[in-house]
Amino acid sequence: MFSYYTVFKDETKLDINYIPSRLLHRLNELNLLNQFFSFVLRFPGKMSQRVLVSGKVGTGKTVLTQFFGMQLVREAEKRNINVHYVHVNCRECRGNMLHVLQRVLQRFYPNFPVRGYSLEELLQTLTSVLDEENAYVVLTLDELEYLVEKAGSDPIYQLTRLQETRPPNSPHRISLICILRQLEILKKLDESTRSTLQHNIIRLKEYSKSQLEDILNDRVSLAFKPNTVLPDAVSLVAELAEAEKGNARFAIELLWRAGKYADANGLSLVTPECVRMAMASVYSTVRKTDIASLSLHEKLFLLGIAKAFKQSEKAYISMGEAEETYRAVCEEFGEKPRRHTQLWEYLKKLSILGAVATRKGSTGARGRTTVISMPWIPAAQLEKELYNFLNKEEASG
Amino acid sequence: MAVEEVLSSKGKLRILKVLAEVGRLHISEIAKRAGLNHTTAANHLEFLESHGLVSHKRFGRIRIYQLNEKDPRVAAIKKLFEVWERT
Repeated sequence: MFSYYTVFKDETKLDINYIPSRLLHRLNELNLLNQFFSFVLRFPGKMSQRVLVSGKVGTGKTVLTQFFGMQLVREAEKRNINVHYVHVNCRECRGNMLHVLQRVLQRFYPNFPVRGYSLEELLQTLTSVLDEENAYVVLTLDELEYLVEKAGSDPIYQLTRLQETRPPNSPHRISLICILRQLEILKKLDESTRSTLQHNIIRLKEYSKSQLEDILNDRVSLAFKPNTVLPDAVSLVAELAEAEKGNARFAIELLWRAGKYADANGLSLVTPECVRMAMASVYSTVRKTDIASLSLHEKLFLLGIAKAFKQSEKAYISMGEAEETYRAVCEEFGEKPRRHTQLWEYLKKLSILGAVATRKGSTGARGRTTVISMPWIPAAQLEKELYNFLNKEEASG
Repeated sequence: MAVEEVLSSKGKLRILKVLAEVGRLHISEIAKRAGLNHTTAANHLEFLESHGLVSHKRFGRIRIYQLNEKDPRVAAIKKLFEVWERT
């Protein structure tokens, strides 16, 4: 048995899914949400609500809504109103509304089967379950982009217009909060669906450096042993995160990583140098969980792109070049390459994920080509990470 | 219903045990967890329901079964499972 010193008191407080007990610098937005949903507590069932929350990565969209949900449920319990807050990530549901509804149903019946159901049937089932339980649901669709891209208007329209399919005077059971990075994606929806969504919009601004410092200091006190993180280190993390478009998620992850570097080097203090070392190894917007959620061929395609960048040392590659290296990667892993149209879909997904950026290039012989860049991640590091995932997948299956 | 009609039936006991453990479940999952085929599970459930030990709710095509907690015999059976598991 060996023991080692660590600067951490409770690392879980730096986990991306941790909901802090104090919500910093989002109180106005929280008040807005409370106002939008005050009817849930005052006149349950009399109406339903739809709210959009938008903001860039790491601006607190998820934490704001989850914090609001926790408070709402607590308040409803005090008043004996059966309110459930269900937070579903559309990316984890692969942009499939049936999976989203399954998550909601499983809150009430953990083993509810959903296979073989149409969307209409499942929506009807959900409302009858809620009627039976006399329950109200505030459903948050996080990363709505994935649902819009994959499923288009219909499922969202059906969900937002659910009440119209019910007998007159039936209680309103489901309210919606939709989270997205950019409102522009809503242009992909048809007009009637868009109009049902766009009444109440809460826009989250990027955090400033001092706001990021407050958030970081709060987490430092929860996650680290006393006096183990230098104020300068916190300040540097905040500065770097501010440059990353005020991304608090990035800030917290960087702080955690800096702590890990201190531990790995046997230091009793997290210093700015630890932050710099951590920064060198961080790839900001793409998390390991994002990579893990990719399908086999999406990973292979991303590996192809990473290899193309590594080999060429260019800032941009064409779709054709990416496909070429992807085919080589497929050969390496003994997989049959997917076709161009499918790869297009993958590229769209990787772009939403923030792994790559795309823009239209010059006009070629057969129309405009797409140009791919990878501004945020070192190609060699991504390649290594993807090999780790792919080799694990190969070994397990 | 005589007590031996339930206690002598492995299938019925398994179903009661599954429902005691999980709470609410649809028939295919009950059959799977109890290691029974669908028809046998359905027959047992019909029997148990007709004698007030389980009840079901229907949501569209799905029937969800649960123990009838109001019945004192259900409480006794659950207690039996609990004691049995502990020893």
